[in-house]
Amino acid sequence: MSRLKGDVAVAGIGEVPTGRYPERDCMDGCVISAVQAIADAGIKKDSIDFVIPCGTVFSSAYNSDLVTSRVVEELGLKGIHNNAQVFSGGASSASILKVAGSLVESGIARNVLCVHSDKLGTGLSGQAGIDLFAYAGIHREWEVPFGQHYSSIAGLVTTRYKHETGTTDEQITAVQVSNRKWAELNPNAMFRKPLTIEEVMASKMLSTPIRAKHSNMLADGGAAFIVTSAERARDLTDTPVYVLGSGGRVTHHSLSQEADLTRFGYADAAADAFAEAGLSPKDIDIAEIYDSYPIFELIALEEMGFVERGQGGAFFLEGRTWPGGELPTTTNGGMSSQGHTGGGGGVAILVEAFRQLMGKAGERQVPDARFAAVSATGGTYVDAQIEILGNQIS
Amino acid sequence: MTQSEERPCRPEPEVSRVGAPFWEAARNGKLIIQHCRSCNENIFYPRIRCPKCHSDALDWIEASGKGVIYSYSVVQNNAPSGFLADMPYVVAIVRLPEGVQMLTNIVDCDPDSIHCDMPVEVVFRQVENFDLPLFRPAGNK
Repeated sequence: MSRLKGDVAVAGIGEVPTGRYPERDCMDGCVISAVQAIADAGIKKDSIDFVIPCGTVFSSAYNSDLVTSRVVEELGLKGIHNNAQVFSGGASSASILKVAGSLVESGIARNVLCVHSDKLGTGLSGQAGIDLFAYAGIHREWEVPFGQHYSSIAGLVTTRYKHETGTTDEQITAVQVSNRKWAELNPNAMFRKPLTIEEVMASKMLSTPIRAKHSNMLADGGAAFIVTSAERARDLTDTPVYVLGSGGRVTHHSLSQEADLTRFGYADAAADAFAEAGLSPKDIDIAEIYDSYPIFELIALEEMGFVERGQGGAFFLEGRTWPGGELPTTTNGGMSSQGHTGGGGGVAILVEAFRQLMGKAGERQVPDARFAAVSATGGTYVDAQIEILGNQIS
Repeated sequence: MTQSEERPCRPEPEVSRVGAPFWEAARNGKLIIQHCRSCNENIFYPRIRCPKCHSDALDWIEASGKGVIYSYSVVQNNAPSGFLADMPYVVAIVRLPEGVQMLTNIVDCDPDSIHCDMPVEVVFRQVENFDLPLFRPAGNK
């Protein structure tokens, strides 16, 4: 059963603020967050031997730079054996952690720098952003010709979920309010002003029942983390974060081919992750749930076993996920409030889990947090990826 | 499905080798899906090999043209460029009695009258150089 549990750890993190930063080059996000992560881990830069740059969406030319080791050159890393991109859209965070952890566990790598940066906020015009997300991951023969895009995808999932569970628009909107409560406390978030249900419900309708303020906001941002062995992490830092369990399920490529729009693969993925960790949802102090639209945060929280099916909306509406609530959820503000940086939206949520478990989350620090559950999903919500992390070995 | 002169056209299907017979049949008003002679599976969208048993013994059968709406969403703002002139339009996933699902648009009705599990029937509409299989409320001639 044991795979990476207790053998692999994260020793350091870095992140640049997310938002609209036209003056910031995309590479700035990579380099600055990597430098922070290296300093945070207290590791010598030349002892890093593997770099995993996450895929970048806004520019294929920039992504080619990442594939061909530009980060290694920019950072002057002299001990690198491999630079290899790992990318599975919004689920890249989970894939990178699994790959980096396996490299360390197998001995192929000792210290892995995992880094992401994108410029979806200012690197693309507004309509170009909409059009990119009418193609990216959407079947060009069987879905694109019918006007499918990410707002209609969220609309299709939300409509069916409401039909089956009786959840209301107000309850679904409560997810946005909860995320914003956390973002108010996050200096790296794009939107930090208080948000009300009324404000979301008054915003323009995009694709029923999804309104503008149910949507994530494309943004510039970058983040990094260092994966190493648990033993080296303990030598390097007082605040290692251990990988305790992971699970995943891929259920479709095209949304129309998904058998259950209201569940996806979260239940099985979470069951695997909890089993490996030897923990259950009641042991978890923080749920860092991938949002991008509120319905996916709601479904994941329910299917992972934190709240009964159909009760998630009320759970958010009652403030049980807010700062001070019984289950602090998506404590960086998620993609709706921190901003959506492509493959980095999930990386930011994963880095937030590390930050909380390291006790470095400042004003929004969850007191005495020991264990966190993290979700991610990519493309048209093609997969459900779950990681269980802890600042102690379970 | 009118098209404004200034707006970009709706994107046409990028027709695959295995999908070509589907689009040819659509031109003749027929909704066809694949059928695997080896394992009896009905298949949509068209695949290179049967996704259940990997056989290449794939035939085409004509579907009944009936279905029910699994879910839907009415696009009212911020559509992709090629669809701005069509707003509002309805994106839906329809479940066919043959056991397959497809993405489509619901037409010929008030979007407010649409609901999950609503019975629908296929209707072909020409968009650019293709006849797209769309659906309308069943019995709504």
